[in-house]
Amino acid sequence: MDDRVKGLQTGGDDYLIKPFVFPELLARVQALIRRVNGSTEPTSLTFGDLSLDLLKREVHRSGKKLDLQPRELALLEYLMRNAEKVLSKTMILEHIWSYQFDPQTNVVDVLVSRLRSKVDRDFPEKIIHTIRGIGYVLKTSS
Amino acid sequence: MYLKHLLKIRKTVGFRLTAWYSVIFILSSLLLFVMAYFFLSSALQRRDRKTILLELGGLSTKYKTGGMISLKKELKIEKKIRKKNPLFIRIAGAKNNTLNIFLPYQWAEFDLKDLEKIAPNNNRKWIRLPAIDDKYLLEVASTRLLEGHWLQVGMSTEKREMVLERFRETFVVIMIPLVLLGFIAGFFLSFRSLRPIRQLIGTVQSLDIGKMEARVPSSGTGDELDEMVRLFNGMMEKIKTLINAMKGSLDNVAHGFRTPMTRFRGMAEMALQAGHDAEFCREALADCIEESDRILTMLNTLMDISEAETGVMNLDRKVVDISALMDGVVDLYRYVAEEKSLSIHMSAPHGLSVAVDPDRISQVLANLLDNAIKYTPAGGQISIEAYKRQAEAVIRIKDTGAGISHEELPMIWDRLYRADPNHSLKGLGLGLSQVKAIIQAHNGRVDVVSKPGKGSTFSIYLLADL
Repeated sequence: MDDRVKGLQTGGDDYLIKPFVFPELLARVQALIRRVNGSTEPTSLTFGDLSLDLLKREVHRSGKKLDLQPRELALLEYLMRNAEKVLSKTMILEHIWSYQFDPQTNVVDVLVSRLRSKVDRDFPEKIIHTIRGIGYVLKTSS
Repeated sequence: MYLKHLLKIRKTVGFRLTAWYSVIFILSSLLLFVMAYFFLSSALQRRDRKTILLELGGLSTKYKTGGMISLKKELKIEKKIRKKNPLFIRIAGAKNNTLNIFLPYQWAEFDLKDLEKIAPNNNRKWIRLPAIDDKYLLEVASTRLLEGHWLQVGMSTEKREMVLERFRETFVVIMIPLVLLGFIAGFFLSFRSLRPIRQLIGTVQSLDIGKMEARVPSSGTGDELDEMVRLFNGMMEKIKTLINAMKGSLDNVAHGFRTPMTRFRGMAEMALQAGHDAEFCREALADCIEESDRILTMLNTLMDISEAETGVMNLDRKVVDISALMDGVVDLYRYVAEEKSLSIHMSAPHGLSVAVDPDRISQVLANLLDNAIKYTPAGGQISIEAYKRQAEAVIRIKDTGAGISHEELPMIWDRLYRADPNHSLKGLGLGLSQVKAIIQAHNGRVDVVSKPGKGSTFSIYLLADL
């Protein structure tokens, strides 16, 4: 108890005592960043019936939890943050893997099709669209 | 015309060699003759003088023992004995007035009166009396007798001059063929030794970009010219290989671009034909973009390769952990491998670092992993491992794929070489060329071991950062 008071009084923004779990630490740091930026950075992203909890790293569509792997989640977040905008393969490659070069096998295609199989396959409305020759876009089908 | 030709000859190495050879040959024979002449002449003079002095000594002894009478008797005997090699003998009074003289009749005329004018001396100073009618000399030595008398013994240089004259004549007779011989030998020698150079000139003149087969015949003597010929032939071989490789890769590049360009045009043409709706045209445009992207990637990769090969590639070197590079690339291909049910096994020690451009080396690893995935059938295994061997960091990428046949092995590094003849697999045929070029730009090596049907192992060797 003394340590916590001392820590906060000597300039700490928050104090976390052992034992703690990493997700709590991450959530607290994110909360602090939000407060410092003074922005209303959302803690979750939504698109139609799709929602992505940025803190819990969980995805739900029509109330059903989707099980995504880290890279799939990263791609979905990228698409959701840039909804209605076409993202090229090069942009996705650089954003997800930070590689500048073009691999021969299209790893982006593979990733997108995996994501699509989890996000779109079991739902009537498809939201991940391929714009041939340009890239991919998250949008409601019209 | 003739003069011009002569001027041209004067400039040739052959002519200069011949000229030098002849001059040196003639000069050394001249020197040899002059020395021989000098030694001969002095030897003859020494011999004559010795004879004179011996006679002088003998006669003066006779005088000492038997006086003037004995001396005169001796002279008479001498006259008879020395018919063939006569000597001049003179006895003079105290005032150098001639008392008795003996001059052999064979000799030239000498003005003996002159002897009375030249004071005789005892210390072996030679008196040299020139002849009246020719160039010979009378060499005279004197000795003092008792009662102030003088005894003089001399000899004409005629005999030895004649020997020397013969010698000079012989020399002139010999010198003419000698000069000729020198010139011919010089010409022959320079002609012979310059033969490889003439052959070289002939070969170079016959060379042509299209016809690089010409070689200079080697003499096999192992001398400098033979060495030069050998080096020249070796250089020609290298140039030929390079030109062929350049032609080959240019052919490949031209060929490699023809197919996508033709396809590109075909698509645009189809879209332009009347009667298509907007959706069809949109599709065609998308096809065109995809095709042009492909062409652009090919061009960029080709430029990258030649940049790396010519050493102008900008390498942003950083000290990086190899395992981190490998992690990144394996992560990139994780889903692709998963889709094909391939397992990727990775092992690398932590702390094995290299000073490289991380982006470039990642690309290299990506290309190799890409190939391994492409050529390994479903259910196969791919392993990527790194280890340290002496000062080198070795990265090995091993697959259980189709493998590469022995005949194909040397060609896989060529630009636009594709292992599958019908190009059913996606790819540009530039991956391995790029791997080799980038690794070489890092001063590293890359090699491959492969067994058809069993799989291939590509190894990269980079200098480890210690």
